[in-house]
Amino acid sequence: MSEEKLATTATRLGLSLDVWAVITSLVLALLVRAGVLKHVPW
Amino acid sequence: MAASVALPSQEAQNPFVSIARFIPGVLLLAAIGFAGKTLEQSINGYAKAHHLVIPNVEYVLWAIAIGLLISNTLTIPKLFLPGIATYEFWLKAGIVLLGARFVVGDVLKLGGISIGLVVLEISGSLLLMTALGRIFKLRPKLTTLLAVGSAVCGVSAIIAAKGAIDADDEDSSFAIAAILALGAIALVTFPLIGHALHLTDNAYGLWAGLAVDNTAEATAAGALFSDAAGKVAVLAKTTRNATIGFVVLGYAIYWASRGQAEKVKNKGRFLWEKFPKFVLGFLAISLLVSVHVFNKEQVGALANLSRWAFLLTFAGVGLRTNFREMSKQGLRPFIVGALGEVLIAVLTLGLVVGANAIWKL
Repeated sequence: MSEEKLATTATRLGLSLDVWAVITSLVLALLVRAGVLKHVPW
Repeated sequence: MAASVALPSQEAQNPFVSIARFIPGVLLLAAIGFAGKTLEQSINGYAKAHHLVIPNVEYVLWAIAIGLLISNTLTIPKLFLPGIATYEFWLKAGIVLLGARFVVGDVLKLGGISIGLVVLEISGSLLLMTALGRIFKLRPKLTTLLAVGSAVCGVSAIIAAKGAIDADDEDSSFAIAAILALGAIALVTFPLIGHALHLTDNAYGLWAGLAVDNTAEATAAGALFSDAAGKVAVLAKTTRNATIGFVVLGYAIYWASRGQAEKVKNKGRFLWEKFPKFVLGFLAISLLVSVHVFNKEQVGALANLSRWAFLLTFAGVGLRTNFREMSKQGLRPFIVGALGEVLIAVLTLGLVVGANAIWKL
């Protein structure tokens, strides 16, 4: 099942999929706070 | 969704190659999501320019519909499959970033109400599904998987429980197919019922978060009603997700006591491993926003990043829903699941209406 394969790949990269999602989001939040990402259109 | 691509082992060991193979599917998700967004804007723009009154079809529905059309009429090349599966990752990132739209006070108020309702929902769902499984003489472990999937968080809960109770692949495939099919039906029916009953955004969001099993479908069902309802649906669903470890641990202990699963040696570690870490990320972002680490524009930027992540998720929901594959799994688990889901939807609607009368949601 593809979801399980994705989770396996995430784990192979050292952390679970959940943790990668949290890290990615926090890095994005940091970039927004630092002014690197100033305007995100919708 | 069909089977994934098997990579040669030397490629699989290289993290850059591992990540690169997700790119085609992610681009497909982005293209479908963007097409959905563009369709909504174009149709609204056309209607406005020509003074036409057309019901607004949200980008959420367009993205899911385009994905469904592709997955049910074309054979998706294997090249795209790993990237399509990343919709789970975008869902979790979207939830974490959605924390920017909640100050801690909101989380405590709505989350507090959600916790009470979640406990009732989980107890009722487990009892209902177990009773239905016995009445319809489903295999006991299949009944457990359906009960866990419908009580907590759909596919993730089934996958977590499958390993913990040593269930067969066949049973988990049945349970996943039933939960996904019912999630697809909920996407259409829930917003219609919510509007027919004139539910408020908060009440509908709570209902969608409590009754729709899979997190992606619960998020989409909420967003299909309104943006505000989508936000509340995610909060309620996240509260439900946080209980996954306890429910799966309970079943693991039950099946181990019957000699049909391995004993759980370290219960604390088991609970931590099963706990969805994105819940902590969501709370962290909400806390940072509440103590004004971000200004108003930055909060807006984070909220929009969350919307983009959900856009990819909604495209993935459509792409991985293949009705032909689901129909191969047989009718009985689907009937049990459908009966259970209807009863759970009625139960949770009653809970939400009751909570609304008490707390004026």
